[in-house]
Amino acid sequence: MTMSLADCRVLIVDDNAFNRKSLALVIRRAGITEVAFAGDGAEGLRTVDDFRPDLVLLDVDMPVMDGLEMCRTLRRNATHEELPVLFQTALDSDEEQVRCFDAGGSDFISKPIKPGECVARVRHQLEKRKLFTDLASFRARVERELSHARAMQHSLLPEGRRLTAVAERYGLVLDAHFETSSELGGDFWGVYPLDDRRVGFLIVDFAGHGITAAINTFRLHTLIDRFPMQHMAPSQWLTQLNGALKDVLPTGQFATAFFGILDLATDTLTFAAAGAPNPVLGVGAELRLLDSAGLVLGASRRARYTDQSHRLPHGGFLFLYSDALIECGGEEHPPIGRDAVPGFVRDALAENRLHPLRPMMERFYARVRQPLSDDLTAVWIARRA
Amino acid sequence: MKFQQRSTPDAVEVRLMGRLEFTDHDRLHDIVGLLEITRARGFVVDLSGLEFIDSAGLGMLLILQEEAESRNVKLTVRGAQGDVRRSIDLARIGEIITIDS
Repeated sequence: MTMSLADCRVLIVDDNAFNRKSLALVIRRAGITEVAFAGDGAEGLRTVDDFRPDLVLLDVDMPVMDGLEMCRTLRRNATHEELPVLFQTALDSDEEQVRCFDAGGSDFISKPIKPGECVARVRHQLEKRKLFTDLASFRARVERELSHARAMQHSLLPEGRRLTAVAERYGLVLDAHFETSSELGGDFWGVYPLDDRRVGFLIVDFAGHGITAAINTFRLHTLIDRFPMQHMAPSQWLTQLNGALKDVLPTGQFATAFFGILDLATDTLTFAAAGAPNPVLGVGAELRLLDSAGLVLGASRRARYTDQSHRLPHGGFLFLYSDALIECGGEEHPPIGRDAVPGFVRDALAENRLHPLRPMMERFYARVRQPLSDDLTAVWIARRA
Repeated sequence: MKFQQRSTPDAVEVRLMGRLEFTDHDRLHDIVGLLEITRARGFVVDLSGLEFIDSAGLGMLLILQEEAESRNVKLTVRGAQGDVRRSIDLARIGEIITIDS
């Protein structure tokens, strides 16, 4: 791979006019046109600031300030930490070469100058710098875009004010936790007021995490608006969503889901599930894991879902979560695992009867390795007593 | 995840070991590669040595199923135990893939 070095800038620092000229001649032949000169280290430092070179060819012995001192000064400045500095040294002087490296030199060219070697080493350093700058600016751009996308992803979720309003309207306590394992994630959840007595809850987890999974949550968000929830059973709604996701998802990508409708007039929770982790239902002193088995969404057009109804009276609760809660572990603790979830909820209730999600998250984070290996969503839905 | 393969006259058998998760996507290509070169009509994925499968791992099984189907090869998954069995049952993967217990 040969890059053009036409736009590269090289500073030659040497107290000997003949050396400056011959070095310039050699590197101009390599296609570099922007060349500046300095006669000692002090002038060199000033020129670095004005000329902004991509590379410095530096003599060692010079009056006022020698090359070693100039290089050390450059390296103390964060802006010039990565600036390639090539020392001109006599090849047979091992000791001097060591001093040059110690001063922060990137490489050497031998004195007297051999044009072929000089061009090769200059080119090597400049190409490396170019690749590094390209990569750094690419990375900066990706980070900027990811941070925008992250804000967009969070905007898909119910915001605090809306949760409070819904909780007020239906006499509920609603708490939620959402964390992606990297900038973006494949989890999604939502709350949907259907009418004065019914409110819907949805939690979805796309397989995998990161950008691909996040794109799927945006797809999902669009699809949800397309299918009104008011006049159908949760199973029918999931069947529709499944069909639409099957159309857009490639094989191997799918989502687990739980969709439930709470009817305050009949104290009933009716839900359909597609392989979401087993939610916990609490009524009175009894805590139980709900059966949430069901073919994952987007895997087959033939998938059919079934409805289940459970009593959820005043004082009862429903706890929804994504699989990170039971699958993430740490150095000292294994993952919580499915069977321990009711006990996990019970302990948290003992600590904070009204808002157990807080102690749950504290305990969870105390035992897991971070960053999490998967996205975590946890939603606490309780009917006020 | 690691895997071992062996062939019988009727089927190629792949035994998966360890954890099948998000980070194993590259290994999937190796297994699909086996599917591509096999002349056998059957392809068995043995999960008895698997300790853990996450949702991405389940997705890989679905991809294998589609790859097998498109080549007229009969895919069978067998030997899943413990948490792996539980994850497969929860996601009802058996509605798409033949699971032998």
